[in-house]
Amino acid sequence: MSVDGRFAANPKTNNLYRIWKRVIPYGYLSPTILLLAVLSFLPIGMVVYYSVMDNVIMNQNPVFVGAANYVKILTDGVFQTALGNTLYFTLMSVVVHLILGLTFAMLLNSKLVSPFTRSVFRVVYILPWVFTASIIAILWRLMLNPNGVINYLLEWSGLVSQKIEWLSSRQLALHAVTFINIWSGYPFYMVSLLAGLQGIPDEIYEAGTIDGANGPQLFRYVTLPQLRPIIISLAMLDFIWTMQQFTLIWMTTGGGPGRVTEMLSTFTYKLAFSTYEFSLASTSAMVILVLSMFVALFYVRRQRASDA
Amino acid sequence: MLNAISRPAKIRIARALVIIALLIGALLPGFPVLWMLSSSFKSNMDIFAYPPALITDSFSFGAYAAVVTSPEKLRFFLNSYLVSMFVTILTLLVGILGGYSFSRYEFPLKRPLNMVIIGVQAVPPITLLIPYFSLIVFLKLHNTYAALVLTYMVFTLSYAIIMMTGYFNTLPRQLDEAVMIDGGSSFVALWRVLVPISLPGIVSVGVYTFMLAWNEFLFALTLTKTTDMRTVPVGIQLLMGQHSYEWNEMMAMSVLGCLPVLLLFLFFQRYFIAGMTAGSVKG
Amino acid sequence: MNKKLLSLLAAVVMLSAIVAGCAPVAGPAAPAEEAGEAAGETITLEFTQWWEPELPEGSFRALMDEFEAQNPGIKVELISGPYSTTREQVVAGAAAGTMSDVVGLDGAWVSDFVKQGSLASLTDLMSQAGYDDSQLAAQIQLNGATYMIPVVNFVYPVFVNLDLLAAAGVENPPATRSEFAAAAQQLTESGENVYGWVLPLSLEQPNGIQNDVMSWAWASGGSMMKDGLPDVTNDQVRSASEFIKGLWDAGVIAPGSFSMREQDKVEEFTNGRVGMMISSLAHINMLRERNPDLNFAITALPAEDGYDGKRGLPYASWGIGVSANSPHQAEAWKLVEYLMSAEVNSKLSSIANAFPGNVNSTPDFVQTDELFAAAFDVFQTGYLANEFVGLPVAENLMREFAEQFQLYLDGSQSLDDTLNAAQEAWMAHFE
Repeated sequence: MSVDGRFAANPKTNNLYRIWKRVIPYGYLSPTILLLAVLSFLPIGMVVYYSVMDNVIMNQNPVFVGAANYVKILTDGVFQTALGNTLYFTLMSVVVHLILGLTFAMLLNSKLVSPFTRSVFRVVYILPWVFTASIIAILWRLMLNPNGVINYLLEWSGLVSQKIEWLSSRQLALHAVTFINIWSGYPFYMVSLLAGLQGIPDEIYEAGTIDGANGPQLFRYVTLPQLRPIIISLAMLDFIWTMQQFTLIWMTTGGGPGRVTEMLSTFTYKLAFSTYEFSLASTSAMVILVLSMFVALFYVRRQRASDA
Repeated sequence: MLNAISRPAKIRIARALVIIALLIGALLPGFPVLWMLSSSFKSNMDIFAYPPALITDSFSFGAYAAVVTSPEKLRFFLNSYLVSMFVTILTLLVGILGGYSFSRYEFPLKRPLNMVIIGVQAVPPITLLIPYFSLIVFLKLHNTYAALVLTYMVFTLSYAIIMMTGYFNTLPRQLDEAVMIDGGSSFVALWRVLVPISLPGIVSVGVYTFMLAWNEFLFALTLTKTTDMRTVPVGIQLLMGQHSYEWNEMMAMSVLGCLPVLLLFLFFQRYFIAGMTAGSVKG
Repeated sequence: MNKKLLSLLAAVVMLSAIVAGCAPVAGPAAPAEEAGEAAGETITLEFTQWWEPELPEGSFRALMDEFEAQNPGIKVELISGPYSTTREQVVAGAAAGTMSDVVGLDGAWVSDFVKQGSLASLTDLMSQAGYDDSQLAAQIQLNGATYMIPVVNFVYPVFVNLDLLAAAGVENPPATRSEFAAAAQQLTESGENVYGWVLPLSLEQPNGIQNDVMSWAWASGGSMMKDGLPDVTNDQVRSASEFIKGLWDAGVIAPGSFSMREQDKVEEFTNGRVGMMISSLAHINMLRERNPDLNFAITALPAEDGYDGKRGLPYASWGIGVSANSPHQAEAWKLVEYLMSAEVNSKLSSIANAFPGNVNSTPDFVQTDELFAAAFDVFQTGYLANEFVGLPVAENLMREFAEQFQLYLDGSQSLDDTLNAAQEAWMAHFE
């Protein structure tokens, strides 16, 4: 009945089948390509265009300036600070997200616990996921306030003797916002890995156990390799998203105190909507895009390798 | 065999350890959310009281009443659900097709296309805002559900395709090859074999897509205009006034918003049952 | 044909069906509006503002209904958004050509919108309508034309917690800087976790620089400008900065300043943890509602010792402007005129707890409420001072100053470096 099967079974139509086979993958991707072509390419093209003009939107007759904006952005001291902060923020987030997400996914997948208990815990563990970013920022501001509950608990338990200004201290603010981002983002890994764990056949574990492998060995030689394609996808997406994390930082510290939590995202936002330098903001966005594409390139290469 | 006697004891200890670990770990998501819940019952003044207390004298359902008795706010919830549901269903349909293509086929434009799909979400949305908004206005979609649904699909599709590619890659190719040898098309292989096996992955992608659409603020605000088209995140932001915030109502609205989402997750998480796929792989 | 192609086609069709199918379902407002315009009789004015959510529910709409009743043929559609994002929405709307006919404005935004070319000159509209502008308390002008009219004004006097002052042994609210410093010191010593003053210096919402820092200079007749250009290195800004640094080093300012916003500041005061704050009159009713036991009073911002001139009083306005691209500018002006009329302006001031933008308006609360009466005294003996109004990228100026000021306060930068750096950053926007 089916086309593939019929073609494959009949060597005479092999050529036709090859052509068909070449078209299929594009066919499957066509809705995606259509949507992105209509809604994505034009705006992104506009951003690229903005980035080589002197200024736009505020300026009725923009003038082409070539790479001048890129030179200006890349040599800007604040940009460099923001880049450094963003890299710390992003790498910390990605690594801790992965560790937490994997740990929690393994715990929540444990067959030692009854399915009911597991499902209750699963719901609790995804909680950070179901709130909009501005509410997460507000909630953590409340809790990390000098008079907030965290300081109260720390003082009460005798761990600190003085109230700590988590978000207003130049030593702590960057770590505090990183922590908040970690809190809000780990369920993404957890749920995806939980799903990934279902794909690992029990037989592999059973075979491993018979061969005398212990828990850590099973984890290292069975679980991790099986989850690898998912972990790579997750880490890449998380890297790209965290680089752009804006609301959580803006609404907790606004990039301060001083510039200790200045990120590429807050830097870009301020260029666009605080000083109305839309061209420079677009340039900064392009830099973020290029950085993301490096990571994407790594992913695409791995993609090929895992197919082979 | 020698361990036969101690084996149940060992399992019991292991189970206790896992449960203790789960309980300790649950503090991380649980405590802040408990605090949100507690704040939603407090008066605005007591939210800032020191020393803080979980339950105060001002305990009341007033904030909830304020939310559920406002037809305007209930409309925000309805809008959010409609938009998120459409986004989730469409993203899954389109994303599964795309992920299948990347996972199972080699074709000349594969890498560039993959890069493009990743690239479209690597541009900070704040810089896309004005050109994108202009495009939506040009397409006469301003202040429609379609504007929000299509916009969120642009955001979620990359993710869905990448994750579905990842899940499909964890499944052996022999599965779909078996179908094709039996005379089935690639399409049959996808929907009859791969999709049922990948349900956990599909559910997790679906849940995330839903959350993303549910929680998005910037475009929800820009692409809609009238109050009857606003979504929950915009509604929450409307409680953040120029001079003061309605803290307890914001919290109450978040709690109310998350309940149905959690129920949805509770229902769908049964697809994360260990070993569900093992049988089909074997067969 | 075959299943694959069919199903792909189906997917594409579904996608386009969603696009097409959602549109009519979605915006009940859009078709109605177009129908109205086609009929050529009723004009719908869009009015974007953040005021409606700030006011008692339904009260602003009621004012609009009254306007519609008085002006048959004009309908007003209120488009309400959160204050914090109104500015971005107006910029984006102007760029995409969907900006509302009438927009609510903050003095800090005007210059930028004028630069973008999105606001119409109200001077022209006033002369076309033959409007007598002598009844307007203020007009915000740029390049010789009016672009914004303050509809109502929120002044920022000093709020003092009388019970805390009494407990600390301070008899009268401070009138000079040294009295303020002394009172703050006594307040801080009077109880655990009680502070004299609260200073919000958030970089997200940097208006603390306007309300809580520069206001000290204005209250002593000072200025941060000279001949239309920044002049933050002058003696008045310097002495105000030194004064605040003195308070900071004395530990009398509540902790958490560097990420604190106006909305957090007021909660510290509500809970009786700070004795004094500079705050908006808009907070009077909120304080009463949130803490009915709070015993507080209002006083003018302390001036430098020995200063006896008029005191500048910081304020924020709900301003109004008309879109440059509006096809209904004459009707839009009618709405502005309506809001500025003595009677309506009194009403709006009353429900907003603000001071009117029409010189002939008197809000009810000035007679009936002694706190507001006291504030009205402060208002009348001083003058409105907010030098940020009408400056280019005003909010960013505050932010740049705040970034430097934070470094000064926490001791990593000298006053000279701070003010010079701020001056340099500001000058870059005045080229």
